[in-house]
Amino acid sequence: MFNDLKVSFFLACKSIQRGNKGTSILTVLIISLIFVNLIFFPSVVEGVEETLIRQSIEHVCGNVVIEPKDDQRYIDNADSIEKKINKLPGVVGTSSRYMTGATFFYNNKLKSGSVHSIDPSDEEVVTKFHSGLIAGEYLGKENTNEILLGIDITGKEDEVTGDSDLGGVQVGDKIDVTFSNGIIRKYRVKGIFDISSININRYAFITEKEMESVLGVENQASEILVKLSQRGTEEEYRTNFVELGISEDVKTWEEKTAGKIGSLVNSFSLLTVISTVISLIMAVVVIFIIIYINTVNKKRQIGILKAIGIEQNVIINSYVIQVLFYCFCGIAVGLLLFGIITSYLSVNPIRFPLGYVEPMVEQVLILQNIISLIVFSLIAGFIPAWRTANENILKAIWG
Amino acid sequence: MITITNLTRTYVMGTVHVHALKGISLKINKGEFISIMGASGSGKSTLLHQLGLLDIPTQGEILIDGKDVSKLSEKERSLFRLTQLGYVFQEYAIISELTALENVYLPMLMTGRKKQDCINTGIDILNKVGLGDRLDHLQHELSGGQQQRVAVARALVNKPKILFADEPCANLDSSSSRQILELFKKLNKELKQTIVMVTHEDWHMEYSDRVIHLKDGLI
Repeated sequence: MFNDLKVSFFLACKSIQRGNKGTSILTVLIISLIFVNLIFFPSVVEGVEETLIRQSIEHVCGNVVIEPKDDQRYIDNADSIEKKINKLPGVVGTSSRYMTGATFFYNNKLKSGSVHSIDPSDEEVVTKFHSGLIAGEYLGKENTNEILLGIDITGKEDEVTGDSDLGGVQVGDKIDVTFSNGIIRKYRVKGIFDISSININRYAFITEKEMESVLGVENQASEILVKLSQRGTEEEYRTNFVELGISEDVKTWEEKTAGKIGSLVNSFSLLTVISTVISLIMAVVVIFIIIYINTVNKKRQIGILKAIGIEQNVIINSYVIQVLFYCFCGIAVGLLLFGIITSYLSVNPIRFPLGYVEPMVEQVLILQNIISLIVFSLIAGFIPAWRTANENILKAIWG
Repeated sequence: MITITNLTRTYVMGTVHVHALKGISLKINKGEFISIMGASGSGKSTLLHQLGLLDIPTQGEILIDGKDVSKLSEKERSLFRLTQLGYVFQEYAIISELTALENVYLPMLMTGRKKQDCINTGIDILNKVGLGDRLDHLQHELSGGQQQRVAVARALVNKPKILFADEPCANLDSSSSRQILELFKKLNKELKQTIVMVTHEDWHMEYSDRVIHLKDGLI
């Protein structure tokens, strides 16, 4: 057995060493491109998923969000709850918000949306939406007549957007806001933000103090966002919150997004599977053709080898070893190419409507694809080698 | 050494049955240099292929040193060819990706011997066939006669009981042909090598001990 492998290895090495260099380089290049194709698309999908999760945590709901129980409109004693949570090690900060529906008026244009209240300093610790300001300034704690608007509400002056926004509100302009409880207030636009994230640009932000005066509430909240130092520990903290006596509805970012990210990623997963299957079929076809042509050209040589007593399995294995060699070289070159592509894209991420995405690849995915490519290539190399080596000696030598 | 009894080989080509060998019986003794002659289509190469286990007879028995080789499995036939038989084909049948030396020691490597032993034996044999200065030459760097001598060296590397040669000089000029035949004669005389050679040249007969003439699949 070992000796058979030794002879197979000897024949394979000589064939690679003295065979057509151009064909070898082309084969390795094709396999490397197939390998890049195998891991690139899934890595972009992984990058999209990561971006969505990061944005949900950084802009929408933190790691954990506490909401009122089903039968209540607000969380009571919000300050006390925040204080308890902030004492826990690993909690970076909390931010309580009020939320209410509103209609914005400006220059005879109206736009419906939602207004969120924040404590500006708390919010800066928990979310990053303040970093998306494209004009004006962030809110101060005592601001009562100023508002921050998302770009989807303000619109852009130079864009014809019909009735979908306010047609280009600028910082310093004054807009009227009608809250869902019927109260109307005039606000000066203090800042405009543009965050490439789902829905955020449709929000408006005022201070907590202002919102409490509008809604006539105090020390309550529609939601409390909790920022944790480490992602993945949300479930652990949910248990901790219950132990602290917090009886409100505690949701992780995953639950808060109601599986929207998951379903989006699942849709991409189907495309990933299709792309992977196509790549593997390409690999099988390419390797099959290369080995088929190789064995057909060497049919007489294979017949001679059999005639002088070289066993059929030794001959087949020599081709399988050649396929393995091309496969490993292709994978190595593919990893190099993929490294170059990802390095470039980490500096110049792909711009998606939901934000900038850079490919992310897990080692497991790379390993899976390496194994798949090797297995499929071996099958693709074995079949033509077996067919030719299985032929009658005399027919192989003399046709 | 070789005993053939009532050997037949029939090829089926569509609806036509071609009887290449029609019940041949013969004996070849150890150390003999036999020439098989006959016109084209007489069945001489077919007979050699049956003796050399390259083909399976339709009927009959082939005993080599008392062993019925016609009943061996494919794997056993392969091992028998490797260890007991040597071949020299009509065309230059050496492996193009291997050097002269590698071509020669490959069958020995297959028997499980150490590579260095195989290399040493290969060099010895190539020296004996006059190619000691062509060890690292590839097929395209060797003349037809030199390639055929590499093939002879390869056939001898495992010290076969019988050396089969199927028109080994068919593609060689008379000078190269003579060199090959002289080499066969030397092997036969000095090493008592049993040789069975198919040829169609009358002047080749002078090198062999006995000539078997075939006509229409019969001796």
